[in-house]
Amino acid sequence: MTTQDLTGTIWAEVDRALAGVTVRAERGVLDVIVFIPRDEVVRGLRALKRDAGLSFDYLRCLTAVDNEAEGIDVVYHLYSTTKKHNLTVKTTLPNDDLTLDTATTVWRGANWLERETAEMFGVRFRGHPDPRTLLMPEDMDDTFPLRKSHPLAEIEVLQGEGMGYTEEDR
Amino acid sequence: MVASPQATPEHEFETQDLLINVGPQHPSTHGVFRMVLTIDGEVVKDVVPYIGYLHRGAEKLCETMDFRQGIGFMDRTEYLAAHNAELSYVMAVEALAGLEVPERAQWIRTILCELNRLSSHFMFLGAFGIDVGVFGTPFIYAWREREAIIDLFEEISGDRMMYAYFRPGGLAWDVPLNFKERVREVLKSTRQGIRDFDELLTQNEIFRARTEGIGYISAEDAIDWGMSGPSIRASGVPLDVRRDEPYLKYAELDFDVIVGENGDVFDRYYCRMLEMHESVKIIEQCLERLQPGLIVPDKMPRMLRAAPGEVYIRTEAPRGEYGIYMVSKGGNRPYRLKVRSACLSNLQALRQMSVDQYIADAIIVLGSIDIVLSEVDR
Repeated sequence: MTTQDLTGTIWAEVDRALAGVTVRAERGVLDVIVFIPRDEVVRGLRALKRDAGLSFDYLRCLTAVDNEAEGIDVVYHLYSTTKKHNLTVKTTLPNDDLTLDTATTVWRGANWLERETAEMFGVRFRGHPDPRTLLMPEDMDDTFPLRKSHPLAEIEVLQGEGMGYTEEDR
Repeated sequence: MVASPQATPEHEFETQDLLINVGPQHPSTHGVFRMVLTIDGEVVKDVVPYIGYLHRGAEKLCETMDFRQGIGFMDRTEYLAAHNAELSYVMAVEALAGLEVPERAQWIRTILCELNRLSSHFMFLGAFGIDVGVFGTPFIYAWREREAIIDLFEEISGDRMMYAYFRPGGLAWDVPLNFKERVREVLKSTRQGIRDFDELLTQNEIFRARTEGIGYISAEDAIDWGMSGPSIRASGVPLDVRRDEPYLKYAELDFDVIVGENGDVFDRYYCRMLEMHESVKIIEQCLERLQPGLIVPDKMPRMLRAAPGEVYIRTEAPRGEYGIYMVSKGGNRPYRLKVRSACLSNLQALRQMSVDQYIADAIIVLGSIDIVLSEVDR
């Protein structure tokens, strides 16, 4: 199901490769963005990598975006070193259950990127081979700095200027 | 008297593995990087890297900053190639705000990015020489050449490292009147400098004996780990954003993508060396085509606002793909900014490259990735 005109993009091929996966697409500024439900996302990524016509063998980037009430989006930027095309894959996690299957089974390079996403957003990657913190201290597992609800710095809390705080809280 | 155990071909000594901690404050780690080596005798059996000592939360800070204020933070994520780092950021803003960059600004950006690649690679050559054990001479030679380029940057932007010279839409101000002559002057010394290094290191038998055939990584593994830049090209993967998805003026320029064959430490070094010749070639072409003109669009908005949307901009920085993923929900600041660090992905492959090497070689393998920890940790 498409919401926008995607002619002239790789969407037709992606749609074929992702047969059996619930998928929705839209046109981004540079790349096509594909939305896959979280239960199917790793299956979809593997299909995109294995498909001979697409062969997304390179994971450029993996990160997340905190959309506050709408949950957290995990974003994958894929690239094919042979076919030279790009695709963005997004999946939305509800705030009450931030778990997702690991993509390290598809690309080993997802390892550190997932560790970073986990410590920064509190997303739990099921089956991750090395679920330690990456940039943060080892014992910092109860607070997630890149969430919008996290204040930028302690000084802001003291001064009552926390970016993450609502007007009433101040 | 206790009988000492006899070593026989069938039954070797039971030896104990030793843990060695390298860093975070260690000259060979190029900054604040720590790795724990498990060694059996002289041979490395396992490497566990620890990063994050330089994490300053640049991404979070940028979420609270105006688009123009964020430029300074990008410089600090990649201080050895600040122009290249700024470029990805301003290109992301331009893509979301719908700004067209004038011709002249694009040519100047191309020149400065390639000059920055040269200065960054000189830094690599000098530091790598020390890793290998060639103390002094290469480092000072590298510093001399780099200094000439940095001086030029200072004349242009007013700063030696953190330029903040690229702005969304173009440049902060025009280059000095004698820009072309000065760049040609710098290129002359740079060309000589590259030749010096070729003689000093590439043709040095001891250097080659130390670097050839160690730290091997195959093309498939390099792709799987998400490596980029000279580190992946040395393994024979012709991955170069400048060629594959041209930005700025690269589509109109004639240059070769340098690809290695063996994927070892020497190839990673030599790819950079050859790449410097290509950079010189690119800059010369740019100088010929640089014409007077505007450096920011005619109708530059006073308040810079981006449309809601998201973009992933990738450019070829000296160490590999420097990507900016920017999400905007309207307004004058990014809703989310993610810096895709080339070194972070390259560093992931460190374990595979170092295992079963000697300890001394593990240091060289680390040096050959050319890490900048401020980019890894952001």
